[in-house]
Amino acid sequence: MKFDIDYIAHNNRLSDFNMYVKVIVSIGLMVATLILDNLTLDIIVFVLMAILVLGVARISFKSYLKFLTIPIVFAVITCLFLLFFFGHGPLIYDTGFWGIGITQSSLDLAVTTFCRCFACFSCLGFLTLTTPIADILQCLHMIKVPVIFIDIALLMYNTIFIFLDQLSTMRNAQETRLGYVGSKSTYKSLGMLFSNLFFRSLDKSETLQCSLDSRCYQGYLPVYKPKRGK
Amino acid sequence: MHIMEGFLPPFWCAVWYVIAIIVVAYGLYEIKKVVDETPESKALLAVSGAFMFVISSLKLPSVTGSCSHPTGNGLGAALFGPAVTGVLATIVLIFQAILLAHGGLTTLGANCVSMGIVGPFVGWIVYKLLTKAGVPSKINIFLIAFIADIVTYIVTAIQLGLAFPEPTTMAAITKFFLIFAPTQLPLAIAEGLLTVIIWNGLMSYKPKLLNKLGAISDSELSKGE
Repeated sequence: MKFDIDYIAHNNRLSDFNMYVKVIVSIGLMVATLILDNLTLDIIVFVLMAILVLGVARISFKSYLKFLTIPIVFAVITCLFLLFFFGHGPLIYDTGFWGIGITQSSLDLAVTTFCRCFACFSCLGFLTLTTPIADILQCLHMIKVPVIFIDIALLMYNTIFIFLDQLSTMRNAQETRLGYVGSKSTYKSLGMLFSNLFFRSLDKSETLQCSLDSRCYQGYLPVYKPKRGK
Repeated sequence: MHIMEGFLPPFWCAVWYVIAIIVVAYGLYEIKKVVDETPESKALLAVSGAFMFVISSLKLPSVTGSCSHPTGNGLGAALFGPAVTGVLATIVLIFQAILLAHGGLTTLGANCVSMGIVGPFVGWIVYKLLTKAGVPSKINIFLIAFIADIVTYIVTAIQLGLAFPEPTTMAAITKFFLIFAPTQLPLAIAEGLLTVIIWNGLMSYKPKLLNKLGAISDSELSKGE
């Protein structure tokens, strides 16, 4: 398993750019599109974000497309659902089955919802593709989110990658020993994998605690903030 | 299924955010109490959160042929209790939005209420009641995972129905739930089965540790040995 988004967030032209500006721009535009709910604004925001991501941050078109595909598919499915089942008033298009059809109100609802999703999603895309998690947590610290929340999140972020590494090792070991053949053995293998991972994780937490203690951990993780250029 | 970024109207985003923040603040208060007493539990919490994230990012084969992600919140609730699970699930949801583009930041509150708060909480109550009634933890853990999943989807359906009351709120909730049901029932059963297998593994390796976490009763511990 790979986190392409995480890799991209650390390796693009905007990674080192002032994080507060990035967060304020993306969250601000996201909230604005959500509240104003205006079709023209949605399209403007989407185009603006595409320019920022592709042109300014120089993220490859292929990875941006990959990032957008799954949400687009989801949005299309849900909006089709809204289109056919959530209207009132006279039908403007009739499918002929049990009176299911499109009405003017459902068409409006589906189109506005789709565009709103899309615009908000492109804002999220700009934020996640250009800003590493450590920076986002730093911003959370600025808005006075409790230190303990951020500490746990930071330790979790660190641990996730160690787990993924262990997971792929264990998975390979299982696969070479005929695990994951058919659905019954897949369940068995997955169950073994997770219960093993849980004990590994407890061991890991002990080690982590030892290493924190030996570095004078007092319940707060001070993080070095490098001076960012530009 | 997470509610997508931008799918809910602003009013409902705000409502769910407020509810989520109140509950998560309480959960943080609980965690803080635990951490002040035993400082080493912070590492355990972080690692368990990472465990939940990794579980939820893996694909699970299901009966319908589609693939879905186990939520892991039933297991979390059984092991750590609902308050802690709520906080950990919030962090997991933030990471899912930022690292995997699942869910979103504006709908974070709503997702948090359904996946991190109501689902695990109901599951946990059922778990406690059945443990008191002496039901073996293997059956119990299936039920908690199943119920936590189903409740999560009921809450999601309610959230969507409230946001799109067309023609009436109740009718919309029913419609959304009927759409979810055919795919989610098999998934909930699948997650329940998987959780039982994980639980069997946990029980056979280290039953004492589960007892220490308060997840299984003393009588079951002695029976296991």
